[in-house]
This record gives sequence, C-alpha cells and structure tokens, in this order.
Amino acid sequence: MAIQSNRLAPWAAYCVVGIGALIMLAPFYFMFVFATHSRTEIFSLPPPMFFGYDFLANLNILTERLPFWRNLGWSLYVAIASTALTLVFCSMGGYAFAMFEFRYKNALFGLVMATMLLPSFMNMIPTFMIMDVLGWIDQPRALYIPGAASAFGIFLMRQFVSSSIPKDLIEAARMDGCGEFGIYLRIVLPLLKPALGTLGLITFIASWNNFIGPLIVMRSPEMYTLPLALRSLQSPVNTEWGALMTGSAIATLPLVVLFILSSRQLISGLTTGAVK
Amino acid sequence: MRCWLFHSWQILVVLSLTGIALNKAQAQQIPTQPHQTLTVAAYPAVDEIVKSALPLWNHLHPDVEVKVVSRQFTDHHTAMTTALSTSFYLPDVMALEVGYVGRFAQGGGLEDLSLEPYGIKSFQSHYVTYAFQQATNHKGAVVAAPSDIGPGTLLYRTDLLVKSGVSEADLTQSWDSYVAAGVKIKAATGAYLMAHARDMKDIVIRTGIKPGDGLYFDSQSNVLVTSPRFVRAFELARRVRQQKLDAKVLAWSNEWSEGFKRGTIATQMSGAWLSGHMNNWLAPSTRGLWRASQLPEHSFAAFGGTFFAIPKGVPAAHKQLAWQFIQLMTLNREVQLGAFKAQDAFPALIETYDDPFFEQPIEFLGEQKARVVWREAATHITAIAVHKQDSFADEVINTELDKVLDRGKDITIALADAQRLLKQRAYR
Amino acid sequence: MKIPSSLRMSPEMAPYVLLSPFVLLFLVFGVFPLLFSLYLAFQSWEPTSGLEAMKFVGLDNFAFALQDDWFWKSLKNTGWLAIVSGVPQHLVAIPLAYFIHSSFQVLRNVVVGAYFMPYITSTVAIAILFSSLFSTDYGLINVGLQMMSYVPVLGWLMPQNPVDWLNDPEHIKPAISMIVFWRYVGFNVVLYLAALQTIPKDIYEAATMDGAGRLQQFWFITLPNLKPMIFFGVTLSVIGGLQLFEEPFILTGGRGGSDQAGMTTAIYLYRMAFDFNDFGAASAMSWLLFIVVALLTWVTNCLFRPRGTSV
Repeated sequence: MAIQSNRLAPWAAYCVVGIGALIMLAPFYFMFVFATHSRTEIFSLPPPMFFGYDFLANLNILTERLPFWRNLGWSLYVAIASTALTLVFCSMGGYAFAMFEFRYKNALFGLVMATMLLPSFMNMIPTFMIMDVLGWIDQPRALYIPGAASAFGIFLMRQFVSSSIPKDLIEAARMDGCGEFGIYLRIVLPLLKPALGTLGLITFIASWNNFIGPLIVMRSPEMYTLPLALRSLQSPVNTEWGALMTGSAIATLPLVVLFILSSRQLISGLTTGAVK
Repeated sequence: MRCWLFHSWQILVVLSLTGIALNKAQAQQIPTQPHQTLTVAAYPAVDEIVKSALPLWNHLHPDVEVKVVSRQFTDHHTAMTTALSTSFYLPDVMALEVGYVGRFAQGGGLEDLSLEPYGIKSFQSHYVTYAFQQATNHKGAVVAAPSDIGPGTLLYRTDLLVKSGVSEADLTQSWDSYVAAGVKIKAATGAYLMAHARDMKDIVIRTGIKPGDGLYFDSQSNVLVTSPRFVRAFELARRVRQQKLDAKVLAWSNEWSEGFKRGTIATQMSGAWLSGHMNNWLAPSTRGLWRASQLPEHSFAAFGGTFFAIPKGVPAAHKQLAWQFIQLMTLNREVQLGAFKAQDAFPALIETYDDPFFEQPIEFLGEQKARVVWREAATHITAIAVHKQDSFADEVINTELDKVLDRGKDITIALADAQRLLKQRAYR
Repeated sequence: MKIPSSLRMSPEMAPYVLLSPFVLLFLVFGVFPLLFSLYLAFQSWEPTSGLEAMKFVGLDNFAFALQDDWFWKSLKNTGWLAIVSGVPQHLVAIPLAYFIHSSFQVLRNVVVGAYFMPYITSTVAIAILFSSLFSTDYGLINVGLQMMSYVPVLGWLMPQNPVDWLNDPEHIKPAISMIVFWRYVGFNVVLYLAALQTIPKDIYEAATMDGAGRLQQFWFITLPNLKPMIFFGVTLSVIGGLQLFEEPFILTGGRGGSDQAGMTTAIYLYRMAFDFNDFGAASAMSWLLFIVVALLTWVTNCLFRPRGTSV
C-alpha cells in the first residue's frame, strides 16, 4: 500500500529512480557493445554506441592469447566445488550451533564471527605461504577448500535453523529412533532449502568473481580462472581491448543470467540475514 | 523431497567430473613422450625465440623434449619468484629480463655458472662485456647467461627534421643542442621532440656512472640520487617541459602509439628493438620516415635484455641438460642470428657481429644500415651494478620528476626527498 | 538408509562430528594463517633464497613500516577513498530506497534487480570496462562531460579540457570512488529497502492524519527507525572501504598509479610482498592496517550504534 502522495512526488520518484537505474545498467550495455568492436573502434571519437561486427574476430584473438575456454572451465569447476563444499560444511555446522549445546559453543561461535570482521588482506600473504608449503600453488583446490569454512555461511545457516526448525521436531525424530545423521539428512536439510539456495547463490557468485585468491595462488595461464585471465590480457604493452571486452562480457554473462533467474531469492535471503 | 536432494547432488557431481574431464582432455594433446623433458619458462617474445631454436635442439638431443611455459611478463617473474621461494614447480631453465636478474642474483637461488661443471667464465669473451657483468653479482658469481641485449638508440623522423632545417648532428651533438633542435622542430612542424621528459631523464642519469656503482645505489648501498647526473637530468627534463617539447604521453599507452601514427612525436630514445615494434604494429604506416642514430652527447645505455638462468633446486641430471640448452641459446651463432632476424633480439654473442646481416639495409628506417650503428653502441655500453631496491628507486625518481614537471617542485628538494625515501630502504 | 548402530552418533557426539569438517578447515585456513602472519611480521625473508632464509628481526619490520612514507601515503589514500566512496553510497541509497518503497509496486523487483546487478558482477571485468570509459581522449565519460558543458547552467561547472582520469594523481581517486559507488549503491538500497519494510504503515497514517508533511515524516519517522540498518550498512562500508584492492588494482595496472595516488594499503601490502619481495614488512603492515580497521570499526560503533540495543 503506497503512502499517501501529494501532487508532484510520484513523478519525481519515478524520474530519479529511473535515471539511477539507467546509470546502473549503462556500463553493462557498453560492455556488451564494446565486445563487438575492434580495439581501434573502441578508442575512437565518437565511441561506438551500437553493436558492431567484430565479435568473432575478438573471440579469435582472445582464444589465441589465452587458453580461454580452459579458464572458463576452471572458473566453473572451482565455483561448483566451492558451492558444494560450503553448503555441506556450513549446513552441518550451522545446525550444530543452532540445535545443540556443547562445551565452548559460545566461544567458538564468537571466534568464527570475529573472523568475519577481519579484513581479507590479512590472509593474503600467509595463505600464499601455506599453499606454497603444501604444494597447492597453481592448483584449484587452493581456491575452493579454504573458502568452505565460510563464517558468513555458518552464520546464515545458524540463523535459519534456529528460526525455522522447531526443537520439538528434532526431539520427536530422535524418540522415533532416527539416528543423528539421519535427522540431519532427512529433516533438517530439506527444511533448509531456501537458505541453501541463497547461500549457494552467494557462494557461487563470490567464487566466480574471486580475483585476489587466484591472484595469490595461481601461476600458470592454463590454471587461471576468468578474472585472472582477463587481467593477464591487460598487458602494459599492446592491450587487445576488443578481446578484453569480449572476455569480460563472457565472464559477466552467466552471472547476469543467473541473477535474473534468482534475484528475488537472493535478495530476500540476504536481507533476512541482515535484518537481525 | 529426498529424491530431489539426492538427484541434485548427483547432477553437481556429474557436472564437476565433466568439468575436470574436459580440462584434462584439453591438456593431453601430447602423444608419446621421449625420455626426458626440459622445462623452460619464458615470456613473450622470448618464448618465440626459444621455440624457433627447438628444431636445432631436437636435432642435437632427440631424446630430450623441451616444454616451453610462457606467461605474461610480470606474471612470469612473479611465478619465478614463487617457484624459487619453495622450490616447487621450478623450471629447468628460466628466462629473466635484466631488471629482475639483479634481484634474483642477490637472492642466491640461481646456480653460479662460473663454477664447474658449467665454467661460463671460459666463454666470457664471447659475450658482450656489459651484459656479462650485469649477470655477475657482487660476490663474483655469474648467475645467468646473456641472450639478447637492447642497445639504446635515438629514432627520429627524418622528414620532420628536414622540414625544420635540423640535421642529425644538431640533434645528437649534446643534450643542449638536442633541446634547441626540439624548439626548432616544434616551431616548424608542431611536433613534440619526445614522448615524455622522463625518457630524457632515463638516459642522462645513466651517463657518468663511476665503475662499480649502480644507478641509484653504490656498492655499499649508499644512495646516489643527489649526484650531479641526477640534477642535470632533472634540469634538462624541466627545460623540455617548460618549453613544451614533450607530449606528456607514457610509453606503451594508446596516446603514445597514436603519437607515432600521426607524426606528433619526432624522436624516441629506446632500445633498438623498438623499430621492429614500430614496423609491426605501432606505426607501420610511417615506414621509411624514421632513422636511427646514437644517443645524444655520446651517451650509451641499454634498454632491456634477456638472460637465461638455472635454478639451484633443479635435479642434477636436468642441470646438465639445462646448461646444454643455455649454451645453445646464447653461444650458437645460428640461434642468435635467427632470433635477431625474427624477433629483433640483438645478439649478446660477439661472434655474430661480423655477419653480413648487420650490413643489410632496414626498410622501415628508409634503407638505413642501422644495425651497424647499434653494433657500435653495444660495444660502448658500460655495465651498471644492480641493487635489490632498483625498481623501487625507479618509481620514486619518476614520482619526484613528475612533481618537478607538473607541480613546479624545486629540484633540490625533490631529489632530497627521494634520497630520504631510498635511504629508508637501502639496506632491506 | 539405516546406519549400523556401531557407527551411529549419539546426541552428545553429534555436534562435534557435524562441526568437525568446518572447524578443521577454519583452524587450518582461517586461524593458522593469522598466527603465521603474526610470526612472519617479526621475520625478514627474501623469497628467492628459499624457506631457510628466514631471520628473526624483532620489531624491525614494524619500525620500518611506521616510518615509511609510502605506508602513510597509502593509509591516507585508503581513508580518502573509504570516505568519498562510502558516504555518498548511503546518502544516495536512503532516499532512493524511500522512493522505491513508496512509489514502485509492480516494477519493484525489476528496479531493485537493476540496482543490485553491479554488485554481483566481477570487479575485474567492471574495472577493465571503466578503464576504457575513463580514457582521456576517447572515453565515454569525458565525451559525456564535454557534451554536458554545452548545457546552459550545468555547463559552467564542467571541466573545459578532457580530464586525464587514469594518469593524473588528482583524478585517479575520484575515478576509483565512482566505480566503488556505482558498485555498492544498489547493495545499500536493498538493505535500506528491507529495513523500510519493517516500519509499520500505521505510524505514517497517524502522522498524516496529524498533518505532518512528507518531508517531516521522512525526517522524524523514517530516519530514526533506519538507525540500526544505517549502523550495519556504515560498518560494512567502513570495513569494505578500508580493504579496497581490486578496483584500484586494475585501474592502475597493479602499481598504484602516478605518485601512488591510487595505492591503497591493501595494494601496497601486495606490492611489498610480490613486487618488492619483502614479506616480513608486508606482514607487519597488514597487522598495522588491521589495528586501524579495528579502531575505526569501534569508532563507528560508538557513533552509530542505536542507544539501548546490543549487538
């Protein structure tokens, strides 16, 4: 139900919000337009406003300079593995924190939450050194394994479990003779579906876009994920802008599609977590 | 409900396995492998040079396959640093650019090629003197073998010079005459003398270095940036900027290449290899309009240079092969000349200098026999000692120069500030 | 799917078993790196000499960092960027959320989706795109500014010459701030929208009946109720702003820009370790920066925390 409005307000609101939305979306438009132009066309006056014909040529240059499809494959692989692991570990952990009492529970949870406040750069160098010593440099597992212990993920899961799953349900199942793991699998997980969906989306998107992680641990072009591959195209000498734009567009497209399909779920999931 | 969950896990697993399979399939293009593999890590265009030497290598060592791993320039050197730090994923041979040789040389992670079984000192006379010295650290260890060098040259637009009534001699007699010529060129044609005043600063600071000293630090890590050569360099650069003789564009930017294409930049001081780049993609339409000469005021400097090194952590059997490979790349006349002809990689091997290729006219430079000029330059370049903090010092000096040029900062204060900053780090 | 009774967990064991994978990963990759980084901060290490080359140097790295001009410069840059990109995000997001909340029903999801989209895309792709948009002679932003300079009133404010966004130390920071603003404004809109939806409508109705105008309602009803969310949002912006790495990194080609104007402390950290090969100093700096972040978060807490609520 809209708040009672006076004469001018709705049109002003529409205008402001509309212009804002256009500003938000304009760069995407240009990314896709530039992807279809060659380097000299992008850097000319006036800049191109509509689609051009060089998409295939750019794609050619892109695949010449980089093992691009491999990089795309790695991005997909790491994102899926990351999502799967995070969902499993965080749902188990969140359920444990929410439904059980055990020693050091509060201290442990406090510690985990504290690390959420830690800036990401704290881990940059020691992570590199640990991966170096473990021999995980240049391997995808260095990307998806550490991320599975996501503080945000376990927080989200705990919130959801404690707010949506009644303790009596668990008790009843226990009295019916269901084993602990069975309870987790058959009762808790199905009820967690919305939260799993949200966390899955967030993790997938974060992993797909992750740049600093691969920057630190990946060293060979065949093992790069997409953001790193794009940046390696950005050489100080002779940057192939057309190919770079095409690569950026391809890197962005899956997420845009995913987002359009799932925006409601994603946004509502995030906000329930935020509005404590 | 359970069914859905189970099936979704199945789908995820299948997708991941497919992903892995696709990746592995794409990787396994190599049919059967010979007995041994030698890994060589390089960057563009050194990777091309290595690859073009492979037929000869395979002829000599048919049972040893060479695998070339190529990364973008900065990424390559970062990867090499990482590899050396824990000896994981070390290549058998690594290509290094001169800017990084110094850093790695101090570290101690590279084999000393002057020791047995390499004995590179017996080949010392085959290499251009300064390049050999660049690979020698202060303890006397030779950590790398020079492959190509970048003798500094002045490339200029002869048509613009003619139009302004300036001769090559005017341009190169002294720095002052160079600047004066620039004024005339600007007045007559509107073209800038140089792309950025920084280019001139880079050359002038390399003149008059005492033997044993580095560019920014001496052998005791004292900071040298307040010495007269820096002051002169800054003053000349400021004069150039004040008289609006530089286009204020940085090397390799879009505006820089446009400047060449449109003839708004009249001269460029750089390595000899720049003419190759200009011919290939920077400004091919200006073919025939450029000439090469020595740098003004009998200055000689080096721009770039590639070396090959063997990491210490490599297994012994591979070290011998690696040394054979390096000898092929750096001491084989055919390979060196091949690289010169294909990639403009000026040879570090002195024997090649009598080859008739040097006397051949270069079309891009209006049929000038420029290689003779560059060969002459190569013999006059003096080695400059390297210091771990050189790249940091580069940035600091460039920043201070920008402040002098753009904000009118006083030169003495700027150099004193730089001195202070560098002193803080000289011993790290 | 019956698990044999010997393998079944008892309710007492269950939490430990369920938590163990998470805790294991957390300790190895979450806690241990921190401790190691603290250890490293007291060592001097030149990476190309191998792991054995680490040497204990006490507080040397910290002393170096504290008197390093570039470290302080990077802190200033980081602070400037955090404020200039953070504050407008909230100043703009609150009214925007209010407008969307009050005027958009049918199209709400589409509009919110449009605002949120920048947040989910890869920073690298966006920064690359913006590098081309910010190009001095050919970039769309300068073209746009030039066109706007013909508009009668606004034109007077517009710069006369093309602005060198990427190379001029004065302009690289605003360029970075613009990108960060663009990226996060939608995220904050979503947060505030969610908070707005929790304010009961009857309060507004009662106020209207009492004769309160729109603006008064906004000021006296909406804003106070938004306080918890403002607190949350600003805390996130502060923490996020102080960690800025990716946008300036891509925009300045990984080096921090001329006069290091675009070099945030996170970038300087990275450069210290991977460009200048001084891991000890880099670790020391990361701890110093962490202290700054912790301090500022505490300050934000004091300033914005709604009275009478506990976090």
